[in-house]
Amino acid sequence: MTSTKLRRSMLFLPGSNPAMLSTAFVYRPDSIMFDLEDAVSLREKDTARLLVFHALQLPVYRDIETVVRINPLSTSFGPLDLEAAVRGGADVIRLPKTDTAEDVEQLEAAVVRIEQQCGREVGSTKLMAAIESASGVVNAVAIAQASKRLIGIALAGFDYVIDMQTSRGDGTELFYARCAVLHAARVAKIDAFDVVFSDLNDEEGFLKEVELIRRLGFNGKSLINPRQIELLHNAYAPTQKEVDYARRVVAAATKAEEDGLGVVSLNGKMVDAPVVAHAQRVLRIAAASGVRK
Amino acid sequence: MCAELIFYSVVPSEEPGERAEIETFLLRNGLSYDEGIEIFVVGREGRKLVACGGLEQNIVKCVATDPLYRGEHLSLTIVDKVIHLAYERGHSHLFLYTRPNNIAFFAGCGFYPIVEVPGLVTLLENSPIGIRRYCDGLSKSRQPGARIGAAVLNANPFTRGHRYLIEKAAESCDWLHVFVVAEDASLFPYCDRFQLMKSGIEGIARVTLHPGSQYMISRATFSCYFFKEKNVAGDCFTAVDLLVFRQWIAPALGITHRFVGTEPFCRTTGKYNEDMKYWLQADLSAAKPVTVVEIPRIESHDRAISASEVRRLLGTNDFDRIAELVPQTTYDLLSSKYRMKAVGSHTSATA
Amino acid sequence: MKIIKDAMAGTLESSDVLVKVSPSDGPLEVVVKSEVERQFGEQIRRVVADTLARLTINEGVVIVEDKGALDCTIRARLQAAVLRGGAVEGLDWSILQ
Repeated sequence: MTSTKLRRSMLFLPGSNPAMLSTAFVYRPDSIMFDLEDAVSLREKDTARLLVFHALQLPVYRDIETVVRINPLSTSFGPLDLEAAVRGGADVIRLPKTDTAEDVEQLEAAVVRIEQQCGREVGSTKLMAAIESASGVVNAVAIAQASKRLIGIALAGFDYVIDMQTSRGDGTELFYARCAVLHAARVAKIDAFDVVFSDLNDEEGFLKEVELIRRLGFNGKSLINPRQIELLHNAYAPTQKEVDYARRVVAAATKAEEDGLGVVSLNGKMVDAPVVAHAQRVLRIAAASGVRK
Repeated sequence: MCAELIFYSVVPSEEPGERAEIETFLLRNGLSYDEGIEIFVVGREGRKLVACGGLEQNIVKCVATDPLYRGEHLSLTIVDKVIHLAYERGHSHLFLYTRPNNIAFFAGCGFYPIVEVPGLVTLLENSPIGIRRYCDGLSKSRQPGARIGAAVLNANPFTRGHRYLIEKAAESCDWLHVFVVAEDASLFPYCDRFQLMKSGIEGIARVTLHPGSQYMISRATFSCYFFKEKNVAGDCFTAVDLLVFRQWIAPALGITHRFVGTEPFCRTTGKYNEDMKYWLQADLSAAKPVTVVEIPRIESHDRAISASEVRRLLGTNDFDRIAELVPQTTYDLLSSKYRMKAVGSHTSATA
Repeated sequence: MKIIKDAMAGTLESSDVLVKVSPSDGPLEVVVKSEVERQFGEQIRRVVADTLARLTINEGVVIVEDKGALDCTIRARLQAAVLRGGAVEGLDWSILQ
């Protein structure tokens, strides 16, 4: 079932930086991702893991979704990262470099064991898989359906373009991967996240990319700078016209339900259930960050 | 927006281009390049060098930041990077020399003063309790008496001359504390020098033999960091070491006298003896003065016995002559362990 | 747990804390230096003492250079330094809570 949680912005924070770990909540992203992988140097893996373990337990993170990107389980760091994240109370574990459904299954088995050991409710730790290679993209449908715990899959561009023997450009290089990941997510009824946009000074380019992925249908995007959050939320906000229409659809649906009618109609036309669901989603986004400016 | 700051390490001997740039950068910041530095951390903003800090083993040197970027933050960051690099290289007890007006900044970096040569230079270490703990340890060996002596010897290697010095000093004191220089910059490694000293002084009453430490005649206290700086040259060179002795070590053990052998050969040691009289005896410190006693060397065949002579004879494999200069224990070690290996005589600062 | 070698964790950056641990035979000695000593000195010492007690560190030297870190950062850095400098076999996460 598609979740009602908004996940437009997922802010990356290097797990090794205590100043950022303890203040990032003020930017109000939809989710905060504590990174133990690429943003942390090899010699600080152990210290970052402990910082994140404790930061997760801060009261300020109780009402914001926390995601921890662990190192691959095949490394010596990965299993320990997972212990810290699950025991620390992370809402979601982000698995990097997911190539197959088995990667997710292996992760889930490890999570179950840790939940049982530490007394956390089994099943309460959600998962997301990052797809960063050609095999990952090709296996996206299987990956997206590999676990009931998955809340989404994400495309990670950096490793992917290398694997594809190309480099980041205007988006052409990601065209197939974006479509494939998005379709896989929709088949599995989970969220889809787009790549990081790393040129912090290119606001125009960022907005262009956001517009593209929004229109494609992505739920949101990974972000590395807090300044991008508001830009992204605004771009995802519905227009006043969309909000007005959504209100009418929802009102009609509510009325139909009150009247005990199985069919919703608006201005004499029948409105399908997916349209009602979409209208509810529009209103949720508007409630979260207003109408588009 | 400004370019990102990046930090990385540079081994100057392998990267002449980087080295030249660091040298220029230091000069612009009023510091001269220190040849002893094995590795630097440099900070760049884009291509521009904006900060550096070096390490000679466990001594932090040549810390500088671009005046345009000066301000607590970059300075703190570069010191932080140097400290981490030092730990990675296995050095956890760090020392640093700076002008006394920088003490507050370095306190913010976890470096605390040990001694100050007034107005000139301060020796700092990266612990608020390092020397205090060391002296607490020493004070367990305190002995009663009005006249407590001390001698610091490199004993490279231990000779009959050293034995004579210790006998004479011990005779004139209620108790004598003897330290072996711990720095491994000599032909004979510390463990051998300590062992020979230990067996060499057997039978002498009222003597405690102490292991050496970073706090006496070490790379840290006997630094030549400021040696090249014009005016302060010779003074700072020995003053820090001697002030550490006067202000910390002597009070811990109640030392009233320091014994040295006269130095007819080595200029560095000769100067150290002269400086000792000034820094230990002059009215310049809140710490009580320590009286310096020079003991004339004994001679063999009309020549003062010295360790440097032994090392020279080792180079020529003249073991008959060596036998006349050293006790049996030293002779045994030399003939078993160093007979073939010796290729030439190394010099060292102390006899 | 016992500290068997010199180790360090953390940085001098603002909101962080640099922790140095080293072995010693005597009883545990803890030195705390903080930029916010006046307001938070007591609390920092409590957090440090509590964290070390949970790790069952009874001997050694622990130096804490605080740059205004949150309690959770102090805990994390202390634990990291002790784990780096200690003889640890199999991590008991419950003592890190």
